[in-house]
Amino acid sequence: MWILPWGYREGWTICTGLTLTGLAMQNFVGEFDVAAMPYPVNVAACAILAVVAVTVHALSRKYVVFRWFSSPQASITALAFVLFMSVIEGLGVATINSWAFTLVFAYLLLVLAAVVMRRLRKPKLKRDAGFVFSHAGLLLALVAASLGSGDLQRLRMTVARDAAEWRAANERNELVELPLAIELKSFDIDEYPPELMLIDNETGETLPRGKPTNVLIEACPTVLSLSDWEIEVVRYLPAAASVMTKDTAFFTEFLSEGATSALFAKARHKTTGVSSEGWVSCGNHVFPYRSLRLSDDESLIMPPRKPKRFASEVRVYSKEGESRESVIEVNRPLKYEGWKIYQLSYDESRGKWSHTSVFELVRDPWLPAVYAGIFMMLVGAIFLFLSSTENQTYNKKNKE
Amino acid sequence: MTDWLLFPYFALPAGLCWFVGAGFAFKTNGFRRAIFFTALGLCLFCVFMVGLWISLERPPMRTMGETRLWYSFFLPAAGLVTYISRRFKWILSFTALLSFVFVCINLFKPEIHDKTLMPALQSPWFAPHVIVYMLAYATLGAATIAAVYLLVGKKKRTTDEETISLCDSLTYVGTAFMTVGMLFGALWAKEAWGHYWSWDPKETWAAATWTAYLIYIHFRKSQPKRRSTAALILVGSFLLLQICWYGVNYLPSARGRSVHVYGQ
Ligand code: HEM
Repeated sequence: MWILPWGYREGWTICTGLTLTGLAMQNFVGEFDVAAMPYPVNVAACAILAVVAVTVHALSRKYVVFRWFSSPQASITALAFVLFMSVIEGLGVATINSWAFTLVFAYLLLVLAAVVMRRLRKPKLKRDAGFVFSHAGLLLALVAASLGSGDLQRLRMTVARDAAEWRAANERNELVELPLAIELKSFDIDEYPPELMLIDNETGETLPRGKPTNVLIEACPTVLSLSDWEIEVVRYLPAAASVMTKDTAFFTEFLSEGATSALFAKARHKTTGVSSEGWVSCGNHVFPYRSLRLSDDESLIMPPRKPKRFASEVRVYSKEGESRESVIEVNRPLKYEGWKIYQLSYDESRGKWSHTSVFELVRDPWLPAVYAGIFMMLVGAIFLFLSSTENQTYNKKNKE
Repeated sequence: MTDWLLFPYFALPAGLCWFVGAGFAFKTNGFRRAIFFTALGLCLFCVFMVGLWISLERPPMRTMGETRLWYSFFLPAAGLVTYISRRFKWILSFTALLSFVFVCINLFKPEIHDKTLMPALQSPWFAPHVIVYMLAYATLGAATIAAVYLLVGKKKRTTDEETISLCDSLTYVGTAFMTVGMLFGALWAKEAWGHYWSWDPKETWAAATWTAYLIYIHFRKSQPKRRSTAALILVGSFLLLQICWYGVNYLPSARGRSVHVYGQ
């Protein structure tokens, strides 16, 4: 080992050395925390990486040792270690924030940078375009994503209806004041039609055990089948209130805040013919839920309604006093003053009648660089796709 | 929902077509008929998928059963393209067989085919992300078949050279699709969850799988003579892919932690 030219063995040894060093550092200085590397520390780290890479590249003209760092052997061993560590992470052992991973990852970036620089020494457009898009794109995306996470801010803001809020909580649950405020005008949920399913009276488990089935009630009146039961939905009240009488409860239309949904069903067992009828409701924070007992073992229930879409109508204010109205919903974040505002959640105990809305506010100044890298990799993937036919070294005509 | 009841009536004839097509591939002058029957099977299968999409009022890509549907479709399709471009006699039999395994799983172990789709999944990124990934899985599945063929078959330099070159082509295509699928996933995650990458278990396994295929590509470039080692890397990568695809649903470390494991 260590006899020039280097090969795989040196690669394995270097990566093992880095891993052991990382484990030792973990012992002495504790967990690596990328959030502790905000600007300008991350820019400095980026500069150090660049200087080391350029030095390795410059020295590789003269010394064979340094040429090794841009070799496939160095690449493959480094990639294998990253693979190994992500598998460990995938198995549930936190690895990604360890010093060992950080060192191996930094080394991988160094190798990748050396690879790109070597190829670019005498570039040929046709030969190198795909290579550069894949490798330089990956390098850019990885550098920007890893070092950029030191500047990443993700905050959670809970806003009550008709109130404005300018503070949000960070990951450590500390309140941070923001240069913008959000006023919640209204909050809306569209729900999927109600569902029906069976549960075990004894245990409350959903049936059939292991792979519960549910039916969506899209029309009323309707007849459906659920396991061994034929179920006729006679009435459906999308906005209902339960009314208690001395010995029973029924549901009636109720068109105001706090209403729940209920339906009246008749069930008949397909083989035994046993039947029963009654109201079923998912209930909410105002009204209790109600199930229909079908037999000694089974009951019919309506699980909580599932949201199809939820959206907040807001007015956002900047520090300068400017403001703008907008709607924020899942998958449709709002961009404002360098922040992206996401619809995150709401008061789930109140569901449809939630008076609050929860937003996530994200600021990531390095995002454009990550996106540029991603875009280059996408172009690189097209080249990779097209180059798949290049390594056909034989004549197709000779087959058959 | 009722459309799943029709599944056997489309899937079984489609499977039959694929096997008939695969049979013709072994006949002299069977080239055109092999293509015809495989394509006919694909058309039948496609009709069912379109019908299901319409009846569900959303892309059929959410449950495992639905993604298996795409896999069963893309696998013979990848086999067909390979057969046309490379004329490997055996590729259609393998893709037909593997595809049929997935058809059978859907026939005998159907899972609930729920119509509802949580808001985060209602995105224009959803369909391209899943379709591209399924294309990648199918192509890489075909590459694995070729790698196994190389490992267990008779060792002969000329044919081995052809087989591994087929592995290369399929892996290039598959990795290209996988790269696009992963990056689409990142762009979508940014819109839906606020960040493009968060080392969620599913993402972690996706990264591991992708890295494994990169290792194969680079190993082949630098050590072209070590074909068996390369074939082993390919098989190992495909095992990682299985964990990424559905294995995470069963990993205790991922339970309840992954936003991409849709509990039922
Ligand atoms: C986006 C991910 C990547 C893809 C799609 C990719 C693909 C490729 C392909 C197709 C080649 C052969 C190019 C040719 O012969 O023209 C290649 C070469 C190479 N790649 Fe990668 N690669 C990726 C990432 C990496 C990484 C992370 C490293 C190292 C850390 C690396 C190191 C190398 C090296 C050393 C070569 C040989 C360079 C040369 O011949 O000049 N690649 N890569």
